[in-house]
Amino acid sequence: MKAGKVNTASRRPRFNWLNDLWPWLCAASVALSLLMLGALLALLLVRGLGHFWPATLEEVTLRSGDTFAGHAVREVELPQQAGDERLYFTGNQDIEGARWRWVTIEEIAERAQPTDLIRLERSPWGDFIGRLSAIEQDGQRWEGDAAWHRLATLLALPASQRQESQLLLTTVDGQTLRQPLASVVSAQAPNAMSWWQKTHVWGDGVWRFLSEGPRAANTDGGVWPAIFGTVLMVILMSVMVTPFGVLAAIYLNEIAHQGRLTRLVRIGVRNLAGVPSIVYGVFGLGVFVYGIGGSLDEWFFSDTLPSPTFGTGGLLWASLTLALLTLPVVIVATEEGLARIPEAQREGAVALGATRLEMLTRIVLPMAAPAMLTGVILAVARAAGEVAPLMLVGVAKLAPQMPIDGEFPYLHLERKFMHLGYHLFDTAFHGEDVQAAIPLVYATALLLVLIVLVLNLTAIFLRHYLRRQRGNEC
Amino acid sequence: MTPPRLTSSRQPLRLLQDRVATGLITAGGVGVLLAILAIGVFLIWETLPLLAIGESLALAKLSPLAWGTLKAALAALLFAIPVALGAAIYSALFMSARLRTRIKPALEMMEAIPGVVVGFIAGLILAPWVERHLASALVLMVWLPLSAGLAGLLWQLAKARLQRRLPLSWAGLWLIPWLALMVVIALWLAPWMEQLWLGGDLRQLLDQRFGMDYATRNALIVGLAMGFAVIPSIYSLAEDALADVPSTLIEGAQALGASRWQALWKVALAAAGPGIFSAVMIGAGRAVGETMIVLMASGNTALFSASPFEGMRSMAAAIAIELPEASPGGQTYHLLIFAALVLFIFTFLVNTLAEVVRQRLRRRYRQMGGTS
Repeated sequence: MKAGKVNTASRRPRFNWLNDLWPWLCAASVALSLLMLGALLALLLVRGLGHFWPATLEEVTLRSGDTFAGHAVREVELPQQAGDERLYFTGNQDIEGARWRWVTIEEIAERAQPTDLIRLERSPWGDFIGRLSAIEQDGQRWEGDAAWHRLATLLALPASQRQESQLLLTTVDGQTLRQPLASVVSAQAPNAMSWWQKTHVWGDGVWRFLSEGPRAANTDGGVWPAIFGTVLMVILMSVMVTPFGVLAAIYLNEIAHQGRLTRLVRIGVRNLAGVPSIVYGVFGLGVFVYGIGGSLDEWFFSDTLPSPTFGTGGLLWASLTLALLTLPVVIVATEEGLARIPEAQREGAVALGATRLEMLTRIVLPMAAPAMLTGVILAVARAAGEVAPLMLVGVAKLAPQMPIDGEFPYLHLERKFMHLGYHLFDTAFHGEDVQAAIPLVYATALLLVLIVLVLNLTAIFLRHYLRRQRGNEC
Repeated sequence: MTPPRLTSSRQPLRLLQDRVATGLITAGGVGVLLAILAIGVFLIWETLPLLAIGESLALAKLSPLAWGTLKAALAALLFAIPVALGAAIYSALFMSARLRTRIKPALEMMEAIPGVVVGFIAGLILAPWVERHLASALVLMVWLPLSAGLAGLLWQLAKARLQRRLPLSWAGLWLIPWLALMVVIALWLAPWMEQLWLGGDLRQLLDQRFGMDYATRNALIVGLAMGFAVIPSIYSLAEDALADVPSTLIEGAQALGASRWQALWKVALAAAGPGIFSAVMIGAGRAVGETMIVLMASGNTALFSASPFEGMRSMAAAIAIELPEASPGGQTYHLLIFAALVLFIFTFLVNTLAEVVRQRLRRRYRQMGGTS
């Protein structure tokens, strides 16, 4: 206890290990939790949004005389010796066979950032990094700066109006390549860009990530089908869960005899919110997919058997399963809202001659509406982030057809769909080139977290607002 | 609200409507409750065929999974319980009320972060980093609590003006940069310490001296990641229990001469004990059933090993991986559904227990509040 022997012992109490240290340990656990949460969000924000910022391209010359171009991704310590090694993204998979290159720092002789290096995004083979030497079109030929301007004007046109032309490309180590314009998605020369242009390209990249479909085995392109699938599934789910959840809550709170049985049922419903989501997935697979779906196939789609129509995972079964999963959330939230309505309101309505139905629809339900809305929002937030049950009942890594299209009956409930969370899991763990996919996985994770957090915040504010309003009323 | 004026001729219609609606609501409500009940019935029904096959086979298949589940949950709880309870004690007893209204929702937001995201960070970012810097990670685990104590010590020695500037009631916030600084210092020092005391490479040492294998995705990683996911649910319930302890009790104890430590340990924790117990139970239920984090951060090898540096395969992860491929009606199918039944029963029992304990506690507080 030496530490406590401060000179001003008369004014300060002696330092007591137990008494004075444990509050700090407790305070540190709050700080640690906040630190972890902040670090996670910051990591997702920086890596998820940073990916779209056009990276500076370097032309690297090694001591061996070898040259290549690319952008530095990260540096890692060498495993058994001193020094670091750096990972470059070099693109040009069709010429060099690989898109990545590890170089130890000591090997590097020279690094330059020439402004004429360009980066082409191509639809087969991914990115090209090198120089544009010329463009040929109907016997005409542009070279140097003129070629770059010509390419920019060609790419500004919509894809259908671009004339057939050939790009002559050179890599930094002198190999040449002829590339048809049709396979080029976009082109940029990041080293020559101003800060403002880069911001513009960044915004464009974010927009294309949100609005385009995945390319190159999910390692490139966007997540639009996954966003669409998630939103559609969640909408279907809320359409199913809201009426039933509200009905059950009204029954439990307003109609059922408030006895021991009702109390038990209430505890049971509350506990179902804690049952692991995978159990609901098992139920969905066994009952909805194999049970109901199998029977539907036998009755209505027997001509296509043995290939199943409804007897396999699909949009309908996924939303039904999630509706069941989120049912307790809606029931509990609605019941809380109903319980908070003063009994005098109900008695007043009945005393004035209203029947129970009128009392419910004109007095009780309007007052409980914000609570129901809170419940539905919480349910949606839970469903949007849930992946495990979906793996059993109908999510797909790459759905060839969207669940809504121009064909009758327009909404195809039996089709498999893509989901943001599963897309994240699949690209991160089952992709061929995880290294290339990770930036996109970060962006997807950020998107998912943002969606879920915004939904939750909405629910919190709604509840807060509701409490304050109710406080004034009573 | 003025009641609608109705002629008496519409009276029977209204009563009929009311009757019909009540019937519909009852039917709907009972239907929903039955649908929920159907989950249990279905799971039990589908496991009945298992009785026909030998017990030993089911045991051989399921026991590594059960072990993996327990190991993962235990690892998560070892990390989550101290942090969550510490945070709950601090925010219920010390934090300033203004800060508390902000911090509590922020911590509860942690619960909303989807498991896939946590699993991705743990499996692809944290796991390779810990593999390369195992010594630093272990040093951090010891160093962080020590540095919190150090902060307390420095604060005691500090001038009164500084103490007023950085009060304990805001420490949850201003300790964040302190902890971040301590993390940086530890990361900077750890390689030297490893060089000095452990001969350069901790992983090699573990392998040679103790014969411990190191898998990239292991129980340590799962514990950290799932602990992160479980902290908010334990914190939230434990904090509620502690904040509801009538303040007269703690003030009375302190007035009778108890130190802060004694007031907490003997009065507040004892009174809120059942609530804290139910919080831990709910956390355990969540840790046992969590699928995506274990799936992504554990390597999914069905091993019987107690080593914190080896992976495991939990029941939930096994269901997610194997059930889509199992043919319906086959043996694997029934076994996996049995695993789901075990999860269902376990979490249901644990949650019921927690709920009953909590309701009883609430009644007790009401009595205490009434007598004081």
